[in-house]
Amino acid sequence: MVGSRLRLAGFRHQRKHGWQTALAILGIALGVAVVMAVSLANQSASRAFAITMEQISGRVSHQILGGPSGIPEKLYTRLRLEQSHLKSAPVVEGVVRIGQEQFTLLGLDPLSEQPFRTMTRLPGTGVLTRLLTQQNGLLFSSYTAKRLGLSAGDKITLAIAARSPEVELLALFGEQQGAVLDGVLVADIATAQTLLEQPGKLDRIDLTLTPDAIAPLQTWLPKGYQLVETRQRTSAMEDMSKAFQTNLTAMSLLALLVGGFLIYNTATFSVLQRRRQFGIMRLLGATRSELFRVILFEQLIIGLIGTAIGMGAGILLARQLLWLVTRTINDLYYTVTISRLDLAPEIIITGITLGLVTTLLASAAPAWEATRARPQSVNRRSAIEQQSHRAIPWLLFIGLSTMGGGLWLAQNSDRSLLLGFAALFCFIMGYCLLVPAMVPTLSRLIQYPIKWLFGTIGRLATRGIDATLSRTGPAIAALTLAIAATIGMGIMVDSFRTTVGQWLTQTIQGDVYISAPNSSSKRASAPLPNGLPAKALKLDGVREVSTGRHVTVESETGPVNLLAIGLASTSYRGFNFKGDTLADLWQQFSTGKLVLVSEPYAYHNRLKTGDKVTLLTPLGNQSFTVGGIFYDYGSDRGLLVMPREHYAKLWQDQAVTTLGIYLKKTATLESVLTQVKTLTSEYDQPLTVRANQEILKHSLEIFDRTFTITQVLRLLVIAVAFVGILSAMMALQLERAKEHAILRATGLTPRQLLGQITLQTLLMGVMAALLAMPLGWLMAEILIHVINVRAFGWSMPSQLSTTILIEAGLFALIASLLAGLYPSLRMARTQPALALREE
Amino acid sequence: MRRAILFLLLPLIIGCQPREEVTTEKLSATRLLSAVDQQGFARAEKPRDFIFPQDHGPHPAFRNEWWYFTGNLQDQSGRRFGYQVTFFRFALTPPSKKPSVSQWSNNPVWMAHAAITDSEAKRHLKQEKLVRAGPGLAGSEAQPFRVWVEDWQLQQGKAGLPWKIHINSETFSLDLDVEPTIGVVLQGDKGLSQKSAEPGNASYYYSYPRLKSNGQIRINEKQYRVSGHSWFDREWGTSALSPEQTGWDWFSLQFNSGYNLMFYHLRNRQGKADPFSAGSWIDKAGKTKRLSLDQIELTPLRWWKSANGNNYPVEWEMRIKSENRLLNIKPILDEQEMDLSVRYWEGAVDIYERGKSIGSGYLEMTGY
Repeated sequence: MVGSRLRLAGFRHQRKHGWQTALAILGIALGVAVVMAVSLANQSASRAFAITMEQISGRVSHQILGGPSGIPEKLYTRLRLEQSHLKSAPVVEGVVRIGQEQFTLLGLDPLSEQPFRTMTRLPGTGVLTRLLTQQNGLLFSSYTAKRLGLSAGDKITLAIAARSPEVELLALFGEQQGAVLDGVLVADIATAQTLLEQPGKLDRIDLTLTPDAIAPLQTWLPKGYQLVETRQRTSAMEDMSKAFQTNLTAMSLLALLVGGFLIYNTATFSVLQRRRQFGIMRLLGATRSELFRVILFEQLIIGLIGTAIGMGAGILLARQLLWLVTRTINDLYYTVTISRLDLAPEIIITGITLGLVTTLLASAAPAWEATRARPQSVNRRSAIEQQSHRAIPWLLFIGLSTMGGGLWLAQNSDRSLLLGFAALFCFIMGYCLLVPAMVPTLSRLIQYPIKWLFGTIGRLATRGIDATLSRTGPAIAALTLAIAATIGMGIMVDSFRTTVGQWLTQTIQGDVYISAPNSSSKRASAPLPNGLPAKALKLDGVREVSTGRHVTVESETGPVNLLAIGLASTSYRGFNFKGDTLADLWQQFSTGKLVLVSEPYAYHNRLKTGDKVTLLTPLGNQSFTVGGIFYDYGSDRGLLVMPREHYAKLWQDQAVTTLGIYLKKTATLESVLTQVKTLTSEYDQPLTVRANQEILKHSLEIFDRTFTITQVLRLLVIAVAFVGILSAMMALQLERAKEHAILRATGLTPRQLLGQITLQTLLMGVMAALLAMPLGWLMAEILIHVINVRAFGWSMPSQLSTTILIEAGLFALIASLLAGLYPSLRMARTQPALALREE
Repeated sequence: MRRAILFLLLPLIIGCQPREEVTTEKLSATRLLSAVDQQGFARAEKPRDFIFPQDHGPHPAFRNEWWYFTGNLQDQSGRRFGYQVTFFRFALTPPSKKPSVSQWSNNPVWMAHAAITDSEAKRHLKQEKLVRAGPGLAGSEAQPFRVWVEDWQLQQGKAGLPWKIHINSETFSLDLDVEPTIGVVLQGDKGLSQKSAEPGNASYYYSYPRLKSNGQIRINEKQYRVSGHSWFDREWGTSALSPEQTGWDWFSLQFNSGYNLMFYHLRNRQGKADPFSAGSWIDKAGKTKRLSLDQIELTPLRWWKSANGNNYPVEWEMRIKSENRLLNIKPILDEQEMDLSVRYWEGAVDIYERGKSIGSGYLEMTGY
């Protein structure tokens, strides 16, 4: 009986304070939405990758891999003739495009496929015959075809490197529902070799091996080839993007943390406002547990509504984030098409749980507090304020120890990215606990200047903050956290961008670069025409040229990017080494015994100068000494550098991927650029010619592109924080309606009241901004020196940008100003007597 | 010709259909004849001059071709073995004059079947390989003579003869030297074997009806030194059976007297014998008499049902009217079904006359 009354009372209260309820719901919804969206996008990316790999690899347990130029198909013939008892299949793999979208072209021999994959199991016999005999027939997954609006029999123009052959969609495989194998096109091996222009070459040989067959095959395998376990390779590839995805998840949790504060705030206010009502209920016979349950139930309903809205919004948001995630993964890691949101039940459940648990945790504290108070004393508001102040030493202690723990964890968790994030969160939480403890001190500090500036109103405003610490404390903490998050992420991205810019300027030493766009190979970038370097060198005004060959080679730890460079005399300056290098570095480098490794590669593989790196060459495994570790922000997978002439000899690959042109002092860029463009237009193959500055601009554009998602998340955190501040401040001021009415009744004009309220919220904003700056800076330090290093292996100096600090300060002021506006306008308009009677 | 239908089933096999579908599709195999384009291939339209050893090698102008060995062997202790080794080539496209970029382009598909019947242990072991020519995965060469599907090989010896057969699988292997004791026998009309009434629906067909065979069989880890007689059939063409022809019973019999008999018994939809059924009666010296349907009368005596539910007439009565002989043909083991991509029955048989064993041979039955 009492319970239902209590519930009804709660419902009435929420209805009466609709604004507050709506904001609470909005806060929860936003927090849940961001977490959901990021996990959904991440999960979809991982699943798309896993499914694609699973379907492509099928029941392949092992693969034979070769160097950058693939495997001669005669090796497969030898394998079939000498090891015919093994289940094996030849695979040709390349990259093709339809419009702007990238696809993996898989060339298979349907006759060898049966033990491995199902894609070439086709209905009817005619299609298979056509697949085998028609030189341009392809198979699409039903899902891809549907997505692109294609059906069997359609003609499609592919873009392969610089060519655009027309192909025919012969048939579809797989079901339309699952996004299985989206992004993969299947062709007969003959068609694939023809389209990719790689006659006689395979990309790998797939095998299904029993454990006892592995060792004999390894012995049989000629030098220069490697037998690798598929699972290991797949997981190595998946790991590439894991750090990136972990970062996204952590940022989404930050949004939830801010959201959690917000819920805590609104729940606290909602309970505090009704202390008197609860006291009466208690006097009427409601028990503590009844009251506790009712409050929790009420908050749970709010949490449920917020979570439900958040889930919907999260799914909508995830669709937007998905293409950003896909683009970044494709830019940085591997080709994968993720066109479908994977609404995994575990993510939905996690979303619901996060929303509800956060709500319950955040409202349990105020609910507990409200029920614990003795009914007689509930009316005395001073009681809770006294408690709040008494809690300050405790908050200080817990806060400082949590921060200390966070710092300790950051230093003692070696290389673990997750523990790095845990340390960051500890640090943040600890700092947030300190905030309420610092509010009284801060308000006392500013008390006199404010009084001097604004008189009694100023004094009322500052003293009010301290006097209602139980409410202002969490609100300021939430605001601090939100501002700090934007500062921290801002500084991190900014430092990163500056570092990359400087690095690019140093690395790009040539004046003009020539490259070939869009390689069709997954292991090597598209080669330039033969003889181009020699011709370029003869151009008027050209002092010298440098050549580069980008390939992927196999190392003991999986595939690794290798840059083979023919250095120009000035390109040595392009390397900036971290720590010591070997003595006579460049002289030793030219002998071919050394490799230079990039910082991420050294970090991930725990290498230092003087260590050995083993690479698979056509002559078998060969080990190289690390001559030096250079800064490189081009790839977080790492890069090895060796002289091109030695690479060409070892891997029997004379191709050149990029050509750098260095000008004579007397030459002008325009004249050389014109000559180079004339020279490149003589070739059928389209070539990209870019001046130094253009590359710099282009590279920074790519950088910005990959950080778009970080910026989006930063904006989302800001949005959550903004709503949080708005609702906290509004609730705070609305709750003080009676106090304001008394002030009005004792002679304060509406204008003065407006001034007082606005001043107070502004002051809170300023306090939060001040408190957020050190936290934001420390967050940036942890992000740059702990998280970035662990996730990507990049080290860089942090740079405190005043712009970001000013932005953050402005944001705090605007948010608090807006938050103060509504309650003060409302109060200014209300008759004081009415407000007093209402209470 | 008998084996032609196997090829027509190939596209089905490659499609890796579930077995049930193969079974149902199997009966309509002849339907595929019209589906597979014969345009651009040479056709067997009139008798030709055979030139050896060149004609042992490939004839890529024709759509299909095969090398077919069957034989009865025994080890020193008298343990009986039957074996079958066949290489089929089936072109998917007519030979092109344009050189192709990829070695995998315009590939013929090769299928090889190998089986061993071990009558004492009552087991029939079989294995199949299905590959395309690709970069030397399978193929045939005239000189030196060689046919191979991966590591399964038929090749001439150093001095030409004997030929060497090498088969190796997980459960068994076979290494056999075979040398003809009777010269080439041209089947049909001077080697032109007519399939149906339509002109050009024929193949070129010759046999070595008796080859002295010596070698080794390994089953699991056990080795047997074996010797005996083999039969070799060679056929190539582009033709197809008529839609009416649904299956066949094919006999290759070697009599202890040194005589040999080949007869293919084509059946139509009604299960009746097709008038184009034919054969030959070959004496010790290789002199050949053609046999037509009216000279041979075949009656099934006993049926055997395989694990798949197929019913095969494994025991036959054969009346050779011209020779006035009545033969009883019995399998050395009922279970000799080749349940591979294409399902048929191919097995070693004994010949009885008036209750007395007078020879051995091989029997193939399809379309059941």
